[in-house]
Amino acid sequence: MTLWFRQHRYALAAALVHLRRSPGGFLFNILVVAIALALPFTGVTLLDNVRPMSEQLSVDPELSVFLKQDTPREQAEALAVSLRQTVRQTVHDPQAKIVFTPREKALEQLKDKSGLADVLTTLGENPLPDSYVLKLDAFRNAQAGGDVDQLAAQIRALPGVDTVQVDSAWVKRLAALLNVLRLALLLLAATLGTVVVAVIFNTIRLQVMTQREEILVSKLIGATDSFIHRPFYYTGALLGLCAGGVALGAVSLALRPLNVAIAEFARLYASEFQLAPLPPLAMAGLLALSAGLGLIGALLSVQRHLSRLN
Amino acid sequence: MIEFRNVSKQYTPDATALRDVSFTVAKGELVFLAGPSGAGKSTLLKMIAAVERPSAGQVIVNGQDIARIKPAAVPFLRRNLGLIFQQQRLLTDRSILANVMLPLLVTGASRAQAEQRARAALDKVGLLERADAQPLALSGGEQQRVSIARAIVNRPQVILADEPTANLDRASANKVLDALKAFHSVGVTCLISSHDEQMLDAAARVIHLKHGQLEVAA
Repeated sequence: MTLWFRQHRYALAAALVHLRRSPGGFLFNILVVAIALALPFTGVTLLDNVRPMSEQLSVDPELSVFLKQDTPREQAEALAVSLRQTVRQTVHDPQAKIVFTPREKALEQLKDKSGLADVLTTLGENPLPDSYVLKLDAFRNAQAGGDVDQLAAQIRALPGVDTVQVDSAWVKRLAALLNVLRLALLLLAATLGTVVVAVIFNTIRLQVMTQREEILVSKLIGATDSFIHRPFYYTGALLGLCAGGVALGAVSLALRPLNVAIAEFARLYASEFQLAPLPPLAMAGLLALSAGLGLIGALLSVQRHLSRLN
Repeated sequence: MIEFRNVSKQYTPDATALRDVSFTVAKGELVFLAGPSGAGKSTLLKMIAAVERPSAGQVIVNGQDIARIKPAAVPFLRRNLGLIFQQQRLLTDRSILANVMLPLLVTGASRAQAEQRARAALDKVGLLERADAQPLALSGGEQQRVSIARAIVNRPQVILADEPTANLDRASANKVLDALKAFHSVGVTCLISSHDEQMLDAAARVIHLKHGQLEVAA
C-alpha cells in the first residue's frame, strides 16, 4: 500500500512539475476544454431547473366539462352517469375519475389561487358554471390520443354541456419537447465530450514528444510501463478537472445576468421562476465526468504514442 | 552470468549486425568488447539489456533467455543492470542528483532513501559537491561520471558501458576507467565496449568483433 501510494504521489508530483514548466500552454488548454464543457453544463443546469416543473405537471389527459349557466343543479349532478357511460364506451377506461365541481366551490378556489378575492367580491354574482373534471388514464399511444378527442366531441353533444376543454394536451407537448431537448443535450454532450477527449489526446501527445528522452532513459533504467504512463494519466485528469471547474464557474457566473432577464419575463406570468446553480452533488458528478474525459484522452494518447517508443 | 549461444542479429536481409556469436562472461569478470565501428558491439550490449532481441541463438542473462522474456519482466531485468552510454543521456531539465535518484525512484524507493543513496553514488565518482548542478554545467568527463553514478546507484550485478570514454580527453577517460574498475573490484560484472587502445592494453580479457563476428575470445 505504501509503495502504491508513493508511486502515485510521485506520478502526481511529476505531472504537476511538467504542467508548471509550461503554465501558458496548460492554461490555454484548460480554456479550450472549458469552453467545450461549458455548453453541455449550461444545458444540464437548464434542464435541472425545468425538470421539477415538468414533473409536477400532470401528463394524464384531463378534460374539463363546463356546463351551461342555466343548468339546474340536479341535472348537473345527474350528468355524471352519462359522462361515465360515454367514457366507458369511447375510451374503455374504467379507472377514469369524474369529479364534479359546483360553481360555488370553483369561485372559492379562484379566490384562493388568483389573489383576486377583492375583485371577485365586487362582481356580485358568481360568473362561473358548474363543471366536471375527467381524469383519464395516460395516453398510451397515438390512437389513445385520438380517442380522447372523440370523447370530447361526444361529451360536447350531451344536454347541458357548454364547452369541453382538453387540458393536458400542452403538457404532453411540453413533455415531448423536454424529451427532445434532453436527447439533443445528450448528443451535444457526446460531441463536445469527444472534442474534450481529442484536445487532451493532443496535449498528451505533445507532452510525450517533449519528454521522449526522459521516457527512453526511464525505460532503460528499469521503469515499468505503468510508472511511465501514470504521470500522463494524472496530467489528463487534472486538465479535465480544472477545465470542468472553470466551466462550472463560468456557468454559475452566467446565471446572474440570465436570472435578471428571466425575472423580468417570469413577472409577466406572475411567477418568480429563477435558475438555480446545480446542487453540490451534481457539480461533483460533472467534475468527476470532466476528470474522467481527461483520463480517457490521456489513456488513448499514451496507448498510441508510447507504444511507438517501445 | 551472461552467455551468448550462436547469436545472430539481422535487422534487414542486407543488414546483419551479429553472426553466430558465442561467448560467456562469468560473474565478477571485467570484459572489454573491441572492434571497429559497425562491428556489432552496441547491438551486443543492447541484447543483454533486452533492447534488442536475437534473430537466432540464445542470450542468457542471469538465467533469463532474452528471446523469451516477457515484456513485463524486462524492467525488472534492467534493474539488475547498470547502463552507461557514449552520449551520457542525462536529463538536462533536472540536477545531477535528480538524475542519479531516478533509477531508485522507478523501483519505488522513497525520496529520502533515493537521495541518500544517490549522494553516496555521486561521492563514489567524486562529484558529491556538484550534486545540485545541472548536467549541462559539467564537462564531458564529469557527465560520464554522473552516468556511472546513475548506473551503479541501484547496486546492479552487471555494468554495461558502451564506449564510455569515446569523447573524453585522456585524464577524464582515466577517471572514468578508474571508477569502473573500482566497481569491478567489489564484484560487479563489467562489460565495456571501447576503441581506446590504452584501455584495451590493460584489459585482462578482450572480445574482438569484426563485421558482426567474433575474432578472438581471450
